[in-house]
Amino acid sequence: MSYEKDILQSIQDGESLPQKVDLNILKYFWQASPVFGAKKQNIPKFLRAIDVFKNFTDNELRILCRHFHLRKFDSKEIIFKQLDLGVGFYLIYSGTVDIIVEDSNRIDEEDEKTPRLVVSLDSGDYFGELALLQENSLRNASAISRDNTLLLGIFKPDVEELINIHPIIATKLLQSISIIIANRLYSLTKEARSMKQKLFELEKELEDKQ
Amino acid sequence: MTSKSKSLSTLKSSRYIFFFSIFVLVFVVLYSMPRLSVPLGVAYVFYLVLSPIVPFFEKFGVNRGAILGIVLTLFLFFSFYPIIKVSTSVFNEAQKFQYYLPKVEKFLTSNFEYISTMIEDKTGFKLDTTYIDNFLSTSKNTIGSFIYKIPNYLASVVEWVFLVPLFLFFFLRDGRKLRNLLLNMTPNTMFERFYFFIYQFNKKLGGYIFAKFVEASLIGFIITLGLLIMKVRFAFLLGIVAGLTNVIPYVGPFFGAIPALIFAATEYSMNDPKFSGVIFLYVIANAIDIALIFPILVSRIVDLHPIVVVISVVLGSQLFGVVGMIISIPMAVAIKLIFSEIYHEIYASRH
Repeated sequence: MSYEKDILQSIQDGESLPQKVDLNILKYFWQASPVFGAKKQNIPKFLRAIDVFKNFTDNELRILCRHFHLRKFDSKEIIFKQLDLGVGFYLIYSGTVDIIVEDSNRIDEEDEKTPRLVVSLDSGDYFGELALLQENSLRNASAISRDNTLLLGIFKPDVEELINIHPIIATKLLQSISIIIANRLYSLTKEARSMKQKLFELEKELEDKQ
Repeated sequence: MTSKSKSLSTLKSSRYIFFFSIFVLVFVVLYSMPRLSVPLGVAYVFYLVLSPIVPFFEKFGVNRGAILGIVLTLFLFFSFYPIIKVSTSVFNEAQKFQYYLPKVEKFLTSNFEYISTMIEDKTGFKLDTTYIDNFLSTSKNTIGSFIYKIPNYLASVVEWVFLVPLFLFFFLRDGRKLRNLLLNMTPNTMFERFYFFIYQFNKKLGGYIFAKFVEASLIGFIITLGLLIMKVRFAFLLGIVAGLTNVIPYVGPFFGAIPALIFAATEYSMNDPKFSGVIFLYVIANAIDIALIFPILVSRIVDLHPIVVVISVVLGSQLFGVVGMIISIPMAVAIKLIFSEIYHEIYASRH
């Protein structure tokens, strides 16, 4: 016997009915659940977890996230190509992004440039920060989404809008980007120094052999 | 091709089709409904001029709704008040001017006769009167139809006074949302370029319109004030004509001066100090424009080569008449932006 028939039977018999479901309480628990809600509402939380945004207050992050654009990329979709004109900086919200360089020195037998995977970036990583600061910035590498990917992008017009409306937040954002670039520059300098050292040692070795 | 990647590529192409069909649809709707598209266009122009004000006050933590309220109240005051105040005097002047036109015609014909007999006496060459007849009839028709239509224009302006602020309010309030909605629909491959393009275009167009608006109002104000001080009749009408024609680059100021000079010559004769006074006023007003207003306001904003400006004005007038002359510069800016984008795509990225 179905539930409806049970209830009907009990109404006809004059028996007491089971307690009704309180929809309001159910709604409250549904909305209070941490799983509930659009992804967009979780963007400040996501930004909070990223190290370079640690100098932002919660309210500043909430304002900042209004200027981010959530872009959805399908698997194997090109985000941008090497030497494209770029105006945006991306944070990976979910999914994986492959950074690929088409090296003109590495030409294969069919006389085509071989793409070389530089790095795979995951959720919480970022790329493309130079485009936000450089004028007429050309992308140094291509970015391709490996699977279904959600990216948070902020672009030159958004930064200019931020500078006009919320100068403090804009300053903090530019500070964060400067930190990213400074870190990259530091590791590049270190790498260049060690390579120089290696080159020097190799030259010395060659001289000794001669 | 696997079925998954096939369905992905169809999804991508349908996104493109949807995105571009929105533009086609909007264009068709606007083109087929001029009574809607003209106030919408005017509201958009004012939106471009006023939109920098909102973030300026937002910076100081003023509530966005309050700023919108103040901006709109001021806008309504400054658009209603001059229209109500000036429209009656312009209306009277326009009415008087049509009775005045035969006098101008008589003056021009008698002067032409005087000059042609003088030339005939000295050189023996007889000037053909068809030139002056043609000139008079065409200019009479154009000026006449323009002057007679001024009350009609004012009537449609009054209609706009209700529609434009309404559209402007929604542009100012929901402009950002509308932009984000459009950006959400933009296909991924063209997102960055499209976003940067509309940003640059709006910025340049807004700057240009703002500069032109200030320039035209200042010139109109200087001319009207000067003519009022010299107690020349039709000061408001001539001031408005000077301001309106000033919008057309390079040739506009000359167009603006012609009616005033003809009128002054008819009214006071060429030897009268008032005639030289009017010439002096126009020279001074345009000197201020060329030396001060244009270099500070306009030229910095629109980085078009003067030759490009002249060519686009000529082309605009050839294709769409006076309206073409006014919209030629913003169109040239848009075309330049699109071409520089394509140029970058084809050439710059190869280096």
